[in-house]
Amino acid sequence: MSEAMTGAAAPAEDELTARRRAVHAMGGAAKLQARRDKGILNARERIDLLCDPASFAEMGEFAHSARPEDKDRTPADGIVTGFGKVGGRVVAVASFDLTTLGASSAMVNIRKLGYLKESASRAGIPCAFLIESAGARMPDIQGAVGMGRIGQLSSTNRERDVPWVCAVLGPCYGMGTWYAVLSDFTVMRRDATFSVSSPKVTAVALSQEITAEELGGSELHADVTGQADLVTDTDAEAIAALRAFLGYLPPNSSEAPPASTAPVQAHAPEVVEALIPTARNKVYDGRKLVEALADVGSVQPFRPRHGRTLETALARLDGQVVGIIASNPMRKGGAIDAASCDKMTEFIVLCDSFNIPLVLLADTPGFLVGLQAETQGVASKIMNNLRALALSTVPKIAVVVRKSYGQAYLNLGGGEADAVAVMTTGEVGFVDPAVAVSVVHNRRADGGAEYAALMNDMVVSNSPFELAGIFAAQAVIRPGETRDWLIRMLQVFRRRPQGGIGRHRLSTWPTNF
Amino acid sequence: MSETKATIEAKSEITGRVFQVEARIGQTLAADDTIMVLESMKMEIPVVAPRAGVLREICVVPEDNVEEGQVVARLSPT
Repeated sequence: MSEAMTGAAAPAEDELTARRRAVHAMGGAAKLQARRDKGILNARERIDLLCDPASFAEMGEFAHSARPEDKDRTPADGIVTGFGKVGGRVVAVASFDLTTLGASSAMVNIRKLGYLKESASRAGIPCAFLIESAGARMPDIQGAVGMGRIGQLSSTNRERDVPWVCAVLGPCYGMGTWYAVLSDFTVMRRDATFSVSSPKVTAVALSQEITAEELGGSELHADVTGQADLVTDTDAEAIAALRAFLGYLPPNSSEAPPASTAPVQAHAPEVVEALIPTARNKVYDGRKLVEALADVGSVQPFRPRHGRTLETALARLDGQVVGIIASNPMRKGGAIDAASCDKMTEFIVLCDSFNIPLVLLADTPGFLVGLQAETQGVASKIMNNLRALALSTVPKIAVVVRKSYGQAYLNLGGGEADAVAVMTTGEVGFVDPAVAVSVVHNRRADGGAEYAALMNDMVVSNSPFELAGIFAAQAVIRPGETRDWLIRMLQVFRRRPQGGIGRHRLSTWPTNF
Repeated sequence: MSETKATIEAKSEITGRVFQVEARIGQTLAADDTIMVLESMKMEIPVVAPRAGVLREICVVPEDNVEEGQVVARLSPT
């Protein structure tokens, strides 16, 4: 009997094994070897790196193209999907297999992605997209029938109910690019590219000869468009960045971000004291202030190469996740330009959507004004930014580090924060004292005693104690006391009645501005 | 001259005036080392080396006005 059973079971097992081997061979040994020679991982190796060992359960392993003639050359229909664990927590994963018809989008893999996203929303788990894609598959999507089917099947909507993270790990056009820009956090390998259309299309459509790098390289997206939040040299580093980022986020918007249970290490208060120059016209590196205030080793920069006059970073304070927005006077003196303003707005939306309290550190001469700023529509950006801050319901704790002038004072929490402290080094006013003397008294620096007296009046009127005197600031603190004060205020302003869960009024705002 | 692999361009990030040049031609700089200091928005704002390199050319002198995006120095990569 046992022999009979073995005999009966063997063919089924063989078929499963054989089919699995064929699917896992992806686009064939030669293509996989060519990637290996270049140090580029394949779609399945990337999943192994992202997910905890043996945690990945594939969904749709035996799916293939809906076109009978492509059935045998479209393993998994070019996109490997399933559920794995990252740091012990369940995550939905889609890994695009460029060796299978360029991981081009077609009916079955679009259905797989739709299933994955809908399942993730129902289950309240993050989605991770490991992408490279040639774009739409021809002839599948050619013609009215092909395009009509896409309209019926494809949905790129999201309601920010679960985090989406994305690594761009090769050339990417069309649908892959949509995932890059829809995600909360997008990392690019340095030589990867993403754009709406490929250079082939632009060459025909616009007679524009351009390289893939010029059209959508990591320098363009990290420095200019801000559509890449981080750039890494290798696949492994990009995937490690996704794992790290997910470690700061809750699995969905109905849960609080995960607190760290590891022992907390803090920098000495003297580090902060030493960092901040007392002279008004000297600068310091805002990134170092963020590092000095946060738990040691906890700072994960968000888009560090774009909008550099404001640093945005996820970090931990006493083990609790916070989103830090900090002026960087090293860059343009900390004046908030259009790119920084948009980056900050996007970061507020991200943090508010996932219940991450905000810490705002102001040291800015104001918004960068002038012809270029106005041409970029900076007025609208400033109001979008202020509305985002006002509509957000997470705790917001603000500190004026040194100067905080004009509208920028308001956008960095002056009117909206739960609590405002001014450091003893801080000053708040409408403009810089020298500008104020020039406007009010029509006087420029001349070395004379009268000018010095006028300047002194303006400086005194900007004093921390003036702001605290009308209770616009609730505390005046020494720079070295900042970390302790922030930790106390974050404890005080926890949203206890809602269990730390916000109202998410920004969750439908764009993922990119 | 546009940036090539053999040249790193340091640009002014802001419209302002050159206050003082701190680095010397031939000096080896790390990324983010200060090349010169501009005065703008009533502040002293550094222009730093975008990447590590040897300073080959300084294109401005103190008191010069500079525009945002203007190349103010060039380095060769180390």
